[in-house]
Amino acid sequence: MQASRARLFKEYKEVQREKVADPDIQLVCDDSNIFKWTALIKGPSETPFEGGVFQLAFSVPEQYPLQPPQVRFLTKIFHPNVHFKTGEICLDILKNAWSPAWTLQSVCRAIIALMAHPEPDSPLNCDSGNLLRSGDVRGYQSMAKMYTRLAAMPKKG
Amino acid sequence: MVTDSIANASISLAPNARDLPLPKKKRVRNSKLKQSKLDVRREQWLSRGAVKNKKWNEEDNRLDSVAIKAREDDNLSSKKINMREIGEENDGSVHHHSDFSDSPSNSPPSIGSSILGGNDSGPHFTGSSSSSSCRSSSSCCRSGSITEEEEEEEGDDDCLDDWEAIADALAATDKQHDQCSESSPRGNVVSQLDSCGDSRNELGVEDGDSGVQRGRIAQRASMNCRAWRPDDAFRPQSLPTLSKQLSLPNTDRRFGCGGIPWACGGVMSVPTSCPICFEDLDLTDSSFLPCFCGFRLCLFCHKRILEEDGRCPGCRKPYDHDPADNETNVHGGSPTFPLARSCSMISRS
Repeated sequence: MQASRARLFKEYKEVQREKVADPDIQLVCDDSNIFKWTALIKGPSETPFEGGVFQLAFSVPEQYPLQPPQVRFLTKIFHPNVHFKTGEICLDILKNAWSPAWTLQSVCRAIIALMAHPEPDSPLNCDSGNLLRSGDVRGYQSMAKMYTRLAAMPKKG
Repeated sequence: MVTDSIANASISLAPNARDLPLPKKKRVRNSKLKQSKLDVRREQWLSRGAVKNKKWNEEDNRLDSVAIKAREDDNLSSKKINMREIGEENDGSVHHHSDFSDSPSNSPPSIGSSILGGNDSGPHFTGSSSSSSCRSSSSCCRSGSITEEEEEEEGDDDCLDDWEAIADALAATDKQHDQCSESSPRGNVVSQLDSCGDSRNELGVEDGDSGVQRGRIAQRASMNCRAWRPDDAFRPQSLPTLSKQLSLPNTDRRFGCGGIPWACGGVMSVPTSCPICFEDLDLTDSSFLPCFCGFRLCLFCHKRILEEDGRCPGCRKPYDHDPADNETNVHGGSPTFPLARSCSMISRS
């Protein structure tokens, strides 16, 4: 408990320091609870998610960093490895491949990488996965782009 | 003959021309060479980013050099043989270290743990001390290449090779030393002796395990002053696998560094803070290398990880797979045996 808290404080400081360094990731700690974080990540360029800003919710367990944080998308995203309704993310480093050496920041980076490189063979969003698996990259991209525009882009006007 | 083999050893240890003439230039002061060698070694060492356990190795070497000095003090007359003994012993203590580094509870500064920890290497050592020359010779050959028994105990892990190699290198260096000291240039060594004797004691405290070990070594050496010479007719064929020494080129460089070297050992590329808890690593932590992937962390985090899934954060492999750890487990089962031995050892020293 104490250890996770201390570690999160350190991460918080680190995040404040690195804010400028990584413009694609904005990690914000909940004002009242250091175990709740939200992150804003920019969709990687040259993907259907480009231009979108996606919000992630981190729920950090007390055993952190021995246990991985629970992360889910708050913003709707059409991606094979993200549950369309719950925002749950299927990512190995958030499950069995977690290492205590990872940080919230590095998790964000991993999620950005996942957005750019979907794994259709372990889908949480079957529609999206099936599109990719059937080779309909264009269909996948247009769907993903549509949802990015609908959910992840600031409303104009 | 001897010189040849030594020269070979030093060649393989580090393809540095400086080393070669050492056995021949017998009148060259050890200290000078040592110092320069140390520098070269350090550079090489640092450049070898891939070497695992480098910190520990270095420490070992430092300890070795100290122990050797101390012993030179103790018995100058039987020095040369002792040297070889040390070389042979290094082996054990090296393993020891690795074991040490693996168990979080055995923090180096605690003597008690060190005494207890002394057990694993114990079995071979008693054996070797009781049976005089042949045993020591076999252990000498162990330094060349690990004997079967030890291999069994350690579990075969590739990382062993490094320790082995260190031991090899040290053995070779010992011989080198031998030669040098034969021809008299032990003056400076002797001058260092007093401090070294002290430092050995300090080591016993600071780095309990090895210190105790060394103490034992020293005695044993005095009791049992025989080891294989490279030109010995009965010397086992399996002796120095020089190829192995290639993996640790700089070990013998470090050798002559006198009593000081462990002070500068912390300069290695050790992170200043634990990557898990982000707390600063203290001296104990920074000399703690639990996994051969080189991932360092503080003892607290290591303990916590062992309580959970026990996988190294760096490579995600279970910590138990470390041979040193296995050793701890294996020998942890027989606490009385090692305890008795270490007690006797203490009384002797």
